[in-house]
Amino acid sequence: MSLEAPEPSTHTDVGVTETGLDYDVLESLLGELVIDRETHHNAEAFVVRPDRVADALSVLREEAGFDHCSCVTAQQYEDRYESIYHLKKYDDPTQEVGVVVPTSIHEPKSQSGSGVYRTADWHEREAYDLVGIEYDDHPDLRRILLPETWQGHPLSQNYDQERQQVVPLTEHANPLEEDHRGGTDTMFINIGPHHPATHGVLHLKTTLNGEQVADVESDIGYLHRCEEQICQQGTYRHQIMPYPDRWDYISAGLLNEWAYARAAEDLADIDVPEYAQIIRTMSAELCRIASHLLALGTFAIDVYGDFSAIFMYAFRDREVVQNILEDLTGQRMMFNYFRLGGVAWDLPEPREKFFEKTRDFLDELPTRLEEYHNLVSGNEVLQLRCVDTGILEPEVAKQYGCTGPVARGSGVDYDLRRDDPYGYYDRLDWDVVTEDGCDNYSRVLVRLREVEESAKIIDQCVNLLEEWPEDDRTIQSNVPRTLKPDPDTEIYRAVEGAKGELGIYIRSDGTDTPARFKIRSPCFSNLQALPEMAEGEYVPDLVAALGSLDIVLGEVDR
Amino acid sequence: MSIADTLGSALGLGSLGPLEDFLLSLVGAAFVGTFVLLNTAVAGPWAKRKITAAFTDRVAVNRVGPFGLLIIIADAVRMLSKELIIPDGADRPAFDLAPLVLVASALLGFAVVPMGNGIQLADPEVGLAFLFAVASIASIALVMAGYASNNKYSMLGGLRAVAQNVAYEIPLVVTAMSVVLFTGTLQTSQIVGAQAETLITIAGVSIPSWYAFVNPFAFVLFIVANMAEVGRNPFDVPEAPTEIVAGYQTEYSSVYFVLMYLGEFIHIFLGGAILATVFLGGPAGPVLPGFVWFTIKIWAFFLFTQWARSALPRVRIDQLIEIGWKGLLELSFVNLLLTAIIVGVIV
Amino acid sequence: MSSHNQDTTGAQTTQEARMGEGVDNRFNSKLREAFGSSPFILTKFDSFMNWVRGSSMFMLQFGIACCSIEMMHTYAVKHDLDRFGSGVPRASPRQADVIIVPGTIVSKFAPRMKRVYDQMPEPKFVVSMGSCTCSGGPFQEGYNVIKGAEEVIPCDIHVPGCPPRPEALIYGIVKLQERIANGETAPVTVKPYELEQFGDLEEDELVQHLADQIDEEDLVMRYNWAESP
Ligand code: SF4
Repeated sequence: MSLEAPEPSTHTDVGVTETGLDYDVLESLLGELVIDRETHHNAEAFVVRPDRVADALSVLREEAGFDHCSCVTAQQYEDRYESIYHLKKYDDPTQEVGVVVPTSIHEPKSQSGSGVYRTADWHEREAYDLVGIEYDDHPDLRRILLPETWQGHPLSQNYDQERQQVVPLTEHANPLEEDHRGGTDTMFINIGPHHPATHGVLHLKTTLNGEQVADVESDIGYLHRCEEQICQQGTYRHQIMPYPDRWDYISAGLLNEWAYARAAEDLADIDVPEYAQIIRTMSAELCRIASHLLALGTFAIDVYGDFSAIFMYAFRDREVVQNILEDLTGQRMMFNYFRLGGVAWDLPEPREKFFEKTRDFLDELPTRLEEYHNLVSGNEVLQLRCVDTGILEPEVAKQYGCTGPVARGSGVDYDLRRDDPYGYYDRLDWDVVTEDGCDNYSRVLVRLREVEESAKIIDQCVNLLEEWPEDDRTIQSNVPRTLKPDPDTEIYRAVEGAKGELGIYIRSDGTDTPARFKIRSPCFSNLQALPEMAEGEYVPDLVAALGSLDIVLGEVDR
Repeated sequence: MSIADTLGSALGLGSLGPLEDFLLSLVGAAFVGTFVLLNTAVAGPWAKRKITAAFTDRVAVNRVGPFGLLIIIADAVRMLSKELIIPDGADRPAFDLAPLVLVASALLGFAVVPMGNGIQLADPEVGLAFLFAVASIASIALVMAGYASNNKYSMLGGLRAVAQNVAYEIPLVVTAMSVVLFTGTLQTSQIVGAQAETLITIAGVSIPSWYAFVNPFAFVLFIVANMAEVGRNPFDVPEAPTEIVAGYQTEYSSVYFVLMYLGEFIHIFLGGAILATVFLGGPAGPVLPGFVWFTIKIWAFFLFTQWARSALPRVRIDQLIEIGWKGLLELSFVNLLLTAIIVGVIV
Repeated sequence: MSSHNQDTTGAQTTQEARMGEGVDNRFNSKLREAFGSSPFILTKFDSFMNWVRGSSMFMLQFGIACCSIEMMHTYAVKHDLDRFGSGVPRASPRQADVIIVPGTIVSKFAPRMKRVYDQMPEPKFVVSMGSCTCSGGPFQEGYNVIKGAEEVIPCDIHVPGCPPRPEALIYGIVKLQERIANGETAPVTVKPYELEQFGDLEEDELVQHLADQIDEEDLVMRYNWAESP
């Protein structure tokens, strides 16, 4: 493996041309590592041999500048297993390439890419857990989502869903028992799965050295609801759309729906009318505000103690957003409002009233934000707590595939709304927020400032919608009643969700349900970086770092 | 004047024999104890919710009785009637004793606090020292609770509580010493008495020489140290719910939990009482009787702790210790020194 | 959370454990025997206790999935569950009376939830919030999803919805309070999954297969997906 001495990447623009990537140049760069080429909807993909994965990945990373391993998808065909590494560049995410690794059906073994991209570690564990591919040289190939004692791999073919399972619950050792991990006197403590600080059901196996965190390992899967399986059983047109709402359930539903909508629309070549795009943009940004407010509120719980004023204020404002969204979509959280090719219905009548309500909220917002800044970012005790704790260096963040506010809080200027434009974003005037602090404080600040930017976007959308000519309000394009994309087409598409890059991989087999539906969740990757941020810090900082990552277990576990 | 004398004169008895003295003292103690417990009973289940709600734009209990006041009875009886779970590995006598010690330590403190209208159970010459000594027994109770529960969170909570109390007890006492320099006595009644004089008169309103006005710097120091002493935000690390669940009280249920809970509130009120005695002229105040003023003052401190609770983040344990040892301790010594010089020069 | 607590007696069902030997014998105090079955004073006392339990509750701070967001909204400003005397969240199960189960329960979490439930002191009540806790809801077909909280712990009130609006949850809790105040709570378990010691499991292929992975003494929960409703 060419892991040693990562040279300063000088030729990061290999194959970059005016009109996009020239894959032939990349192919010749990879040379004999490539045994075949596939065309996916989003990018070309190179097929490599299972024992040369690390080589291929590191060439692409070191020499061609693909520094972002967005996702690893595993799947089983009739005759083979396959892992796909979706690679991108942080500087320009429209430059994508896939690395396809087929393995034999009898002995699904392939080389691990976790030496090249740290983020591949968890992705491969998931692939092993759900599909059953084994990765050589993987540092720690264990089940990640399902219990250790689970029998079978549920997303592989011929999995018997009826078979019995036994799940153990290990007891907690006596606190005074001797414990020596890493040579010193330590104490092992389980934080979670039911613990006030874990925002749901995350389990942190923490080793303490005094009050300091010597080691932390996240144990996830306590909310693994088989989202991928369920999406694979649903029809494209209607049955899948309700589920994205439940991935990142912090009222970020529309952002998630957009991820599915974008992938499926690109796959089946569906156009979205401009009017619908504006509605989508507006409502998605409302969701982003709601989501960031919740992140702020729960962060406040972590740092302040339960039910502080900030938490309540954040919820007060969320109620307003939810009311607006309810007027628009009919539900407070699980909207199910997007349709392939548009949205479900037009703005509620009377329109003026809806606009007025939205405007009122936007007018109020600066005062509210002022209040938050007074209570949060201007608070000296909070600064004492959060500045320079939970450091996540930008290079480390990239290694772990962090995106969203977490990456932007580390100064990584990466936002798919701007870099890989979709919807109506590229025609509106707004900025991407970054902070260079790399600490807990910056991440919180980024969210607060993003709320302002979202408000700007919504304001412009409201103006556009108000002026939109009455006879041109098409909310949906024509979509066939049963949608059957061409067989053997594959696509990986991402949007900027509330927590970062939310990607969907779909492979169609010509029927009306996807053959493989894979969700790339931003929280999954972000959470993986927690040990980097927390080790050596104090327990309260671990909790604060977790809060500032703003994970949603529904999306981590799916 | 002791409470027995007060009661005696109120009842029109002449000089008291030892038996009468004893009996009347007992009545007095029962009265003071009831008063304190009554306050905590109102504060714990009801006032705390209402105050927090007011800070966070809510209403809180309003269905059970007028203003939700009956919740006090409901809460108390319900908690007492719950199943008492003693964890398997608990260290028995310590586990059972901890809540009692916690409550007793706090209640004992009130024995030497002058509450106005002659209500003071005892007035020893070392009153102030007694007050601090008794209040700090609480940390033993906390460490007992933390250790005996056989739970890691409790353990961390208990250890944190001790570290915190040790770090803040000293500045607290040293700051109080600066007041003693003024008065020249540790006797609480005399400390209160010394604050009765007029400091200055502005436009006909005379401001008493409460030490809060005489030495505001010491007052602020004392409040900060006191907040840490009673373990409230921003210093509530021993029970920080989002970090270590409920700290030392994680494993306590039912009666023991009630005692723990009460103990905490009594401690807040005791903190308020110390503050009132040392810096706010004890029960002094215009128009209203002294006892009412005393009550107002301890509630004011309670309100203050609740305000801090809803608005301030908690500091980290190492920062807390640092603030205690490196900040408050030094400041309190500086304060002591300056006061000593001033007192030496002026008096 | 520490877990050295009460009994973990194997095969007994939750309902049996709750009821004890013979219904209601935990109320059969000496006093009651002396006074006869239901003397005036004791019935008054009973109804007082019921009023007490129905008027004030501590909630367990317990979040699982999407529904917990609406649950937080129920605690927070606009809906303010505390008006009904039941809005105090406690982090430790030892001090809680009510557990609201807000979300999808999956195989890995069910034993832990059971354990948390066991750690709460009697009398304890369960509000199952959302379709997921009623039946598995939208995820019922998942390979990993428990078909409702009642498979694991007995529930007093079901609040359906996905997610239920805060108003619905408040309604559910008020209903629960009413029921408690009227002295009618008798949750029924449909088909409980229980925690058992691994050594006590019936020996079959699966158990033998896992024998070297799981300790004899470890508690396990065994899922029989085929027989789930
Ligand atoms: S019922 Fe609906 S909202 Fe509630 S946890 Fe289940 S999926 Fe989420």
